[in-house]
Amino acid sequence: MTMSTNPVWVGRSIRRVEDAPLVRGDGRYVGDIATGMATARFVRSSVASGTIASIEGPALTAADLDADGVGEIHAVLHRPDFVKVHQPLLARDRVRFVGEPIAVVVGRTPEEAEDLAEQVIVEFDALDDPVVHSETADSNTVVEGRFATPNVDAAFERADHIVELTLTSRRQSAMPIETRGAAASFDRRTGRLTVNSSTQAPHIMRTAISDLLAMAERDVQVIAPDVGGAFGQKLHLAREDVVVAWLAKQRRGAVAWVEDRTENLTASWHSRDHVQRVRGGFSADGQLLVIDADIECDVGAWSCYPVTWAVEPLMAMGEFPGPYRLADYRVRSRGLASYSCPVAPYRGVSRPVITASIERLLDTAARDLGIEAVEIRRRNLVTEFPHTSVTGVVHDEGTYVEALDLAATAFDLPAFRTRQVAARESGGTDGVLLGVGISTFAERTGYGTPVFAQRSMGVTLGYENVEMSMDPSGFVDVRIGASPHGQGLETTLSQIVADQMGIDTDKVRVIHSDTDQTPYGFGTFASRSIVICGGATQIAAGLLRERLAHVAAEVLEASHHDMVFSNGRVSVSGTDVGVDIAELARIAYHHTEKLGADIPTGLSTVASYDPAGTFSNACHIAEIELDPATGHVAVKRFLVVEDAGTLINPMIVDGQIRGGVAQGIANALLEEIVYDEDGNILTASLMDYLPPTATEIPNIEIHHLETPTSATITGAKGLGEGGTIGAPAAVLNAIADALAYLGVSVNELPATPERIRASIRSRMEQQ
Amino acid sequence: MKPPIFQYERPGSVDEALTLLAEHGDEAKVLSGGQSLVPMMNFRLARPEILIDIGQVAGLGQIERRNGHLSIGARVRHEELVHPPFDGPLGALFASAGRHIGHLPIRLRGTFGGSIAHADPVSEWCLLATALEAEIVVRSVRGERIIAIADFFEMTFTTSIADDELLTEVRVPWLGDDWVTGFSEFSRRVGDFAVVAVASAVRLEDGRVAEARIAAGGVAGTPVRLSLAEAKLVGRELNAAAIGDAAATAAEEINPSGDLHGSPQYRRDLVQALTRRALR
Repeated sequence: MTMSTNPVWVGRSIRRVEDAPLVRGDGRYVGDIATGMATARFVRSSVASGTIASIEGPALTAADLDADGVGEIHAVLHRPDFVKVHQPLLARDRVRFVGEPIAVVVGRTPEEAEDLAEQVIVEFDALDDPVVHSETADSNTVVEGRFATPNVDAAFERADHIVELTLTSRRQSAMPIETRGAAASFDRRTGRLTVNSSTQAPHIMRTAISDLLAMAERDVQVIAPDVGGAFGQKLHLAREDVVVAWLAKQRRGAVAWVEDRTENLTASWHSRDHVQRVRGGFSADGQLLVIDADIECDVGAWSCYPVTWAVEPLMAMGEFPGPYRLADYRVRSRGLASYSCPVAPYRGVSRPVITASIERLLDTAARDLGIEAVEIRRRNLVTEFPHTSVTGVVHDEGTYVEALDLAATAFDLPAFRTRQVAARESGGTDGVLLGVGISTFAERTGYGTPVFAQRSMGVTLGYENVEMSMDPSGFVDVRIGASPHGQGLETTLSQIVADQMGIDTDKVRVIHSDTDQTPYGFGTFASRSIVICGGATQIAAGLLRERLAHVAAEVLEASHHDMVFSNGRVSVSGTDVGVDIAELARIAYHHTEKLGADIPTGLSTVASYDPAGTFSNACHIAEIELDPATGHVAVKRFLVVEDAGTLINPMIVDGQIRGGVAQGIANALLEEIVYDEDGNILTASLMDYLPPTATEIPNIEIHHLETPTSATITGAKGLGEGGTIGAPAAVLNAIADALAYLGVSVNELPATPERIRASIRSRMEQQ
Repeated sequence: MKPPIFQYERPGSVDEALTLLAEHGDEAKVLSGGQSLVPMMNFRLARPEILIDIGQVAGLGQIERRNGHLSIGARVRHEELVHPPFDGPLGALFASAGRHIGHLPIRLRGTFGGSIAHADPVSEWCLLATALEAEIVVRSVRGERIIAIADFFEMTFTTSIADDELLTEVRVPWLGDDWVTGFSEFSRRVGDFAVVAVASAVRLEDGRVAEARIAAGGVAGTPVRLSLAEAKLVGRELNAAAIGDAAATAAEEINPSGDLHGSPQYRRDLVQALTRRALR
């Protein structure tokens, strides 16, 4: 089944169908649905490590859940180096992070719920135990991955130059503008529970809720209404969501919970939090020969369901080489539990940090060896495809070097260098320094069961099914298992269907995120939806076209092989004999007597797609102004050259890139979750946790290369996370470039003004 | 984040407001622009039992030159002072400092008097009041009191205004054209609270500094005058060498404690850079 030869819709930047209601204020979020419902509020631990001595007040606790037989969350991998820990929905007797939910109150209004929560008095006994979960040994190691090629030490001995660095990525929050929340209601007539949740994976959530509450899965409905940003934070099962569902079931009524910003920053999922110690061996002409890496990820107090707390360390381990040729590699990568908020994947997922590490490694080697930053990458980027990395990851066709070359040309590096020198020479004590930084990377996307199965998860994620039907009026419904929440899938899938069937996009409606109305699927995350759901959609649309072709064959008395679909009409190839698709639809439903007995009735199809994955690639170039007296960095220019294969809707692609780059710049300069030594969060509001505003992000210039991949049926690659992956590395490299005359670099994310200033001061004191 | 229940009063005059304050004293908070108070109430960090909204009270909105000083009424909005109806070195200083206050919507609601009474040590107006040796006028049913700025800020978020007193006016001594003013602030993002800010006012006589005022915010619990740095300027030309000396002294003179947004050493670095930039 191939794409139609003359795409009319795919490749066009048509406006998104999602946007008009959102912009008008007619969007419908959990907060809207919750209005008027009884409000749940959680009482949360004020100590990082302790046991609960007593709880007094109008609250429900773990004891009440236990009495009702409610289960525990098992977010586990079935592999020998993974420590399995089971998580109660409310802390039972031991608390393991400040903010951990201990009890819940229900008020008639949010104000009353907050008043009631204040009336609950919890007494703690502090627990001075360095081991967070007794299931781990003393080291708090919850997972440990190791890999080594046989000749690492020999490769280091052969190397002419060795670079060592430590890259620290501090904690961040995905910080969706809409916090998490759920509004659950119990239908007394049917005995069914409907849970509206700001989730990325409604079906997984439905199965989990039915397991935990011991309900038949058919009696649970999960709906994700409009979602105001998720970025991975809403993929993972929220304990609070399940408690809210339980409350609705207990009360046989409606209960809602919308977390406030402090709860979101304190007790939702945190992310990043790596220390990567890296050693790279290079030849004299800058060839990267070998890497030895020790990666430590602080994964917090609990494992996230379904992907588990193993994802950060194991993905970092497996994908460290990135887009570069690397023959020898040794790595130890660990997840370590701590008395802090649990960590879960956030857009980019380990790759922003490994990209920062390897890009800093390359730039440091380039500087040491007197090789230009663009050139050292040219000498090391993979150029032949398919490429299998040293860890066995297969890269399909890409344009790693081409993207680098196009970016360098579009940026005009020589002109920049002239400006850079002029700024340094004329600046004086209060002048600013200019810097430029590059990163190149490949982003693994659109991978299904073949890859997830290797992880031995409790739920193997992967395929997507699509159910497609045309009604008697010629309108197409597309029911999907993906759960878009900003990716524009309602628009892009309609473009794919429109091209397959020769109709207009406004004849196509995509139905998603309601488990009562869609086939089982895994939701939207990991840059998978356009590849996997889009692929299934293309297949289903092709099957539907074939069905219509058979109907047309009967009506037009020609062969079904000779049908051309265009402009809402089916014609016999080479003639103007044809019939409107709407008329065919009527015949298919209302005049089956005109069709042969062997033609199935109705117009519905089902298709499935489950690929092994594909890599998009990009080059980022950041230009900064750095004020050495204060350490402040402003990003003045940001350029992206990106290849995501066939672009279904370039405007939507550009939107994904821009949003990701903004988050990547924030990662590099602004956002950091800070704990004090007692495990209290100091950055518990937006006064202290600093997402970027419009004034911190420059215009982002985007250039596209399009290398349709043979690895996916649409030729499209995923790309949603690329912005976050490359931007931090580019900014760190720009900082090092600005401060190269001092020999100062900052290998920390975020590279705050204070950290930059401290590095400068310490270097100047040495001189 | 919802506040606990509270009583709300909206007096129509200063006298009504003072009567309410006399009656409710320490259980009450005055609501002016609300840009600092309301978020604190939503976080439940402030829990007044009674909110006294002076939004309808007349006679608190003036910006006038009177008798050698600038009289600024308590309810003047920040944005009115960003585009001040007065010029000279004071006009330049207010314009340059005021545009750092939050964002436009905040400046359209928040008030000058509210900011002074709130006493955030990094507030731009508190810093200016300190540098310009302002006088704070407060009233109660017991009468009117004028507080010198040196006696006004006690510590973070704490002033010497009594529980039954209402801040009605701030008087800023007028500066003639023999004065040069400057302001420089460092914040992480546009519109954020300052980490450190410096305001300066220098009077020149025959090309040399006759009087110098340098104040810094974000280096102590209240804005502070940097008297040693000021002394480095007096009698000298206001050139790069003198400014450099004053800036270096400013960094040594302060004793800041550190927090999330800046360690003591970082705040010293900032004071030095910002003093230099304010004096330029």
